[in-house]
Amino acid sequence: MTNEAVAGKAAPSRLDVRSLAKSYGAGAKAKVIIEDLTFTVETGEVVCIVGPSGVGKTTLLKCLAGLQPASSGTAAIDGRVIDGPPPEMALVFQDYNRSLMPWLTVRKNLMLPLRHLRLPAAETRERCNDALAAVGLEHAEHQYPWQLSGGMQQRVAIARALAYRPEILVMDEPFASVDAQTRFDLEDLCLKIRKDFNMTVLVVTHDIDEAVYLSDRVVVLGSKPARVLTTIDVDLPSPRDQITTRSLPEFAALRTDVLSLIKRPA
Amino acid sequence: MKPAQLTRGAIGVLGALVLWQLVSSAHLAGDAFPSPVATLSALAADASGASFWSAVGETVGVALLGLLGSAAAGILAGIVIGSSPAVRYATLALLEFLKPIPPIVILPLLVLILGPTARMSWLLVFIGCLLPIITQTIAGVHDTDPVARDTARSYGMGRTEILFRVVLPSAMPFIGTAMRVAAPVALIVTVVAGLLGGGPGLGQGLYLAQSSGNYPSLYGQVLVLGILGLIFIGLARAGERRLLHWHPSYREAAV
Amino acid sequence: MRKTLYVLLGVGTPVVLLAAWFVASAGSTNTFFPPLSYILERFQELWLFAHFSSDILVSLLNLVIGFALAAVIGVGLGFVLAMLPKVGGYVDPVIHFFRSIPPVALVPIFVSLIGFGIEMRIASITLAAVFPTLIATVDGLRGVDSTLKDVSAVYRLSTGEKIIRVFLPAAGPHIASGLQVSLQTAFVVMIASEMLGPSQGIGAMTLLAQQSFMIADMWSGIILLGVIGFIANMLFELGRRRLLAWYIGSRRLARAQ
Repeated sequence: MTNEAVAGKAAPSRLDVRSLAKSYGAGAKAKVIIEDLTFTVETGEVVCIVGPSGVGKTTLLKCLAGLQPASSGTAAIDGRVIDGPPPEMALVFQDYNRSLMPWLTVRKNLMLPLRHLRLPAAETRERCNDALAAVGLEHAEHQYPWQLSGGMQQRVAIARALAYRPEILVMDEPFASVDAQTRFDLEDLCLKIRKDFNMTVLVVTHDIDEAVYLSDRVVVLGSKPARVLTTIDVDLPSPRDQITTRSLPEFAALRTDVLSLIKRPA
Repeated sequence: MKPAQLTRGAIGVLGALVLWQLVSSAHLAGDAFPSPVATLSALAADASGASFWSAVGETVGVALLGLLGSAAAGILAGIVIGSSPAVRYATLALLEFLKPIPPIVILPLLVLILGPTARMSWLLVFIGCLLPIITQTIAGVHDTDPVARDTARSYGMGRTEILFRVVLPSAMPFIGTAMRVAAPVALIVTVVAGLLGGGPGLGQGLYLAQSSGNYPSLYGQVLVLGILGLIFIGLARAGERRLLHWHPSYREAAV
Repeated sequence: MRKTLYVLLGVGTPVVLLAAWFVASAGSTNTFFPPLSYILERFQELWLFAHFSSDILVSLLNLVIGFALAAVIGVGLGFVLAMLPKVGGYVDPVIHFFRSIPPVALVPIFVSLIGFGIEMRIASITLAAVFPTLIATVDGLRGVDSTLKDVSAVYRLSTGEKIIRVFLPAAGPHIASGLQVSLQTAFVVMIASEMLGPSQGIGAMTLLAQQSFMIADMWSGIILLGVIGFIANMLFELGRRRLLAWYIGSRRLARAQ
């Protein structure tokens, strides 16, 4: 299996999740959300985690982002166990309309996480400009998030993460609540920033097509409690394109593989 | 409420009573700061007499009757004003000017005309609760969905029918909110009228206890007013919830 | 055309009403309702500016100091209680009980403790006005979206940044409503503390005029208090609209959709 081969390497993986488990409560009433997750993400990869809705993907991300402690097992970055929000990671939340500060303009939203980095003013400005340009929102910098459409708000959330210049970008169902066209645009944006900013990207999604389209590897989760069913390498040619990539026979084969894994009774 | 929360709350109340006892036994303010034991025994002595209960009755009665009167008059006036744009604009500036002015301002005038009577207290409560109810009712009537109004008209409903079936139900959440806010205000204004204007009830009792130096009785009556305040706030909230649980805007607001 | 009519009505009606009062009361011999012209004359003689520094300024200073203290204590204590939910659980019932006591009932208690001086008035105003702000601050902070807390943690904001740049603005609309109620409470208690006992202040002057049957003086006090109540609320509203423009704008947009 792929993940065993990777785990056997000498150098620690960029992101290494080992036997991670999470449950709430204790004793007989304990509710197990995640049972024994193991996978890795290497530098520069795009990895998608797919699984049915309600499988505990958000809980997994909260553990990875250091927002919640794991019940057992570990998650580590470059071999360093995560026990609080890691400085090299940014997280894009699912609810764009709840994750942006409604009292700040778009640009000020981008600047908020940069304050404590104590950068020179010129660099703060440049980072914000670059991030806004990357998501195509230069014109909206002085507007408030609530004045923008859902897709634009999610682009602001992504731009905020980009301006932070994380080495690892984690996204939780980032395109779940936008319309289909915007969704395609945002997927391509995701691939573009991975290339331009040289980031490692981890995306959680319930959309199998999206996972196959974006990924170098897909981690397929089974539900209740969450566990890794398998990891599939995606060898689709790069650069990817919404029309040509999605019409490749390999694309269809991969999505059938993933779908049959998820559909299969546990 | 969870049992742990209840326990904590009870411990907090007990702690406050113990603190009160400790501070009062330090005699920092002489007799003016009685202990909880002295206060509660004075309250028990008061409560065994008829005059205490008639004071409680007068306070609650004046507050409720004032509230009732201002609800009836305020909703009626609000409907009349809100149904006609001309009247609404004509009264807008006046209402906006008067709304933030508390009723205590005209207390001297009412005492002058009516003397220290229950009628004076009632009128002060009536005036004090009237404006918020009027303005909220106007807002509610104004907020009626024009589509619903047109639909009703196209079904051949008359003016009164539209008023009772369309306009009033949609103004209900606004009126409910106004009443919830007005209920504690009614009690507060009753106390103002008694304490400063000599109207009957616990407000006057506070004044008498303070001026005669009967501090345990003063503190006891303040405790009773606090309990009455809790009851007024609680009942107003429960009433609003019961009345409006069906309404989408209330469900939204309650989340 | 119709719009102009409405604007005319809006501006015109109060003017007409005032004029009507002026004309109708012109030759009034009714004890309770003296001519408006005479009331205005007394208003000018009393308040502009014979009793300005001795009474108006004293009242306003008490109001401002009491309200400012209540605001600072209410918001500060609210933060402490909301950030320490366990402590909040212990003191919640006590706080809600204090909030339920009609605020003016606290005045005789302070009179008995510290007399009729300025300290009594400021203490009464502060204590009565602190609870609406305190409770609104705690409610507002407890209602801050958990996603915003997660965002602050992921981007490693410092505790100070979280408080000043996230929690305070997020709870801002709640805190502002609490402060508005506190301001009205402060104003009522200011008047009550002046009316209860022989002392300076606009409230004391007004009640004294009523008791000594100087009816026009009483009317002029009522008018002055009304104007102050209105202006205080208007200034607050202007500040609120400036600081919470984002909230008012987003609410308006949400309603329009």
